[in-house]
Amino acid sequence: MVLAMHMANELLSVPVAGVTLALGAALLVWVAWRARKTVDPEKLPLMGVMGAFVFAGQMINFTLPGMPGTSGHLGGGVLLAIVLGPSAGILVMAAILVVQCLLFQDGGLLALGCNIINMGVIPCLLGWGIYRLMLGPVEAAKPWRQYVAAWLACVVGVTGGAALVPVEAAVSGVLKISPVHFLGVMVGVHLVIGFVEGLITFAVVAYLRQVRPEALGLSVADPAGRRLSRPAVTATFLVTAALLAGVVSWFASSHPDGLEWSYMEHRYGDGANALSDPSETIVKVDALQAKWSLMPDYSRRSAALGDVPRDEEAVEEAGPVWPAVSGWGSLAGLVGTAVTLVVVYLIAAAVRRRQRLAA
Amino acid sequence: MHHSHIDRYAHGDSSIHRLDPRAKFLAVIAYTGILISFDRYAVSALAPMAVLPLVLLWFGGIPTWFVVRRVLVLSPFILVLCLVSPYYDRVPHAVSFGPWRYEMTGGWLTAADIALKFALGIMTLTALMSTTPFAQLLEGMRKLGVPRMFVVQLGFLYRYLFLLIDEGLRLKRGRDFRGAARVPVGRRLRAVGAVIGHLFIHTLDRSDRIHTAMTARGYRGEWHGLSTLRFRRRDAVFLLVTAAYLVICRWGYLLLH
Repeated sequence: MVLAMHMANELLSVPVAGVTLALGAALLVWVAWRARKTVDPEKLPLMGVMGAFVFAGQMINFTLPGMPGTSGHLGGGVLLAIVLGPSAGILVMAAILVVQCLLFQDGGLLALGCNIINMGVIPCLLGWGIYRLMLGPVEAAKPWRQYVAAWLACVVGVTGGAALVPVEAAVSGVLKISPVHFLGVMVGVHLVIGFVEGLITFAVVAYLRQVRPEALGLSVADPAGRRLSRPAVTATFLVTAALLAGVVSWFASSHPDGLEWSYMEHRYGDGANALSDPSETIVKVDALQAKWSLMPDYSRRSAALGDVPRDEEAVEEAGPVWPAVSGWGSLAGLVGTAVTLVVVYLIAAAVRRRQRLAA
Repeated sequence: MHHSHIDRYAHGDSSIHRLDPRAKFLAVIAYTGILISFDRYAVSALAPMAVLPLVLLWFGGIPTWFVVRRVLVLSPFILVLCLVSPYYDRVPHAVSFGPWRYEMTGGWLTAADIALKFALGIMTLTALMSTTPFAQLLEGMRKLGVPRMFVVQLGFLYRYLFLLIDEGLRLKRGRDFRGAARVPVGRRLRAVGAVIGHLFIHTLDRSDRIHTAMTARGYRGEWHGLSTLRFRRRDAVFLLVTAAYLVICRWGYLLLH
């Protein structure tokens, strides 16, 4: 299930890939510099062994109750951030993503920047921030608080990272899928994945707490971590707020404007007329469209495929009420999530059956 | 019970295997950049782009089924996105193929385009990794300026990856043999936590032991490697030919019009 989050090259434009790669590299340098303080510099290269642990941990699956054949497994980012600290966690995740990209061809070479941000930086920072925020001082934390914190950290961290995939794809403008629908599906699916991953992380944290509590209190070795550092909290809050604002505005701005919509429709009509023209005109029209397609009014387009006139009238009567469209967006998200989960379930069931037949 | 080696062809010997990893790595990066810079409707222009991966795979002696399986295994997510796109983009396009002309919607073109680019990208990356041992690739990356600390970390990850995957599989098999599927959810969850937690502690201890062993052999935070990489003339020729080929693929097509 984690596979779904690896971004492919083909969803990105060259500028977006370049910017995210540069950003990813800069973040890595910064994180490596920070990690030198918390981890013994001589042992820093050995973080790679922890990366291998994540691969191995992913082998241990957890069969979901009520859905035989489907199972969830550890994502790793949040657990690493909780146990090793955010900078070491990001470093390990980055190494994992590079190896996954090169060796397993999972996630594109030029999408590496995006993947490091989506699956390394965001889950580690957000997850760790929320974990620490909920927990307070580690030594005095009550068990239930630690568990809830671990769980929430996974849900928010994983979903937050996944929510960036549609945003990056939309900014690139390669895919013409409505960003709002894509976002709805990604967030929906990853809320579920985050939930399962949260359960597993929670179980691991519970075990470590019982067997080797000092592994959880990184603070024992790291005096700076004993107290909640204020800049970290602020940064976490800012990232969370930015993410939330981003998500909310994607939903809110897909606000139906009858006039603009008809203009768009008219232009689409033009495109149809230009059909017999040589490809150059089409390319130009497409370039223009590509510019427009960055705007989130794509959810209107898709609604147009259903029952447009009635919807349009209703909207005009009621005035521009955004919840109406946001309703469509979230409905599409919900339906998409359900469909995706059913497909995943069917594939898992088919694979399982084949394995059983083979065995 | 062992994982199947994903880079099992990397240690072979062929003209492609003998190329310098730096040349291959740079060529693949340039290829990928050019590949995604194509317009999303330019499906037919992609045809010549298939030459490089096919040449690498052919001369590298990589079996076809191996490559096809890699592409198929990785494709579900991208296929879903491809198949959804005709729903959103219904602008008609005129498509001609030799004497035949017909209409297609933009969405189908985009879907074909993304699927093709995806397959080509995976093929090229598979060609790189199946003709270059990972250690050599890392050495090449280091010489290209990737920080030593990160490269060494990738080396450790690769070194212990398959070892720990095997350990994970053994633990999983042990758990399954003990009837893990039949117990209630709560206990199953606890078992998962215990197994992964155990693996985690093991790994921490293992990395401590590795560090001790390295220190005993004179490791003081500095890395000493014996580099055998040499950038020869044929590597330069390979890079130049690839660059020319990419330029012609990307911009030669426009000149024809």
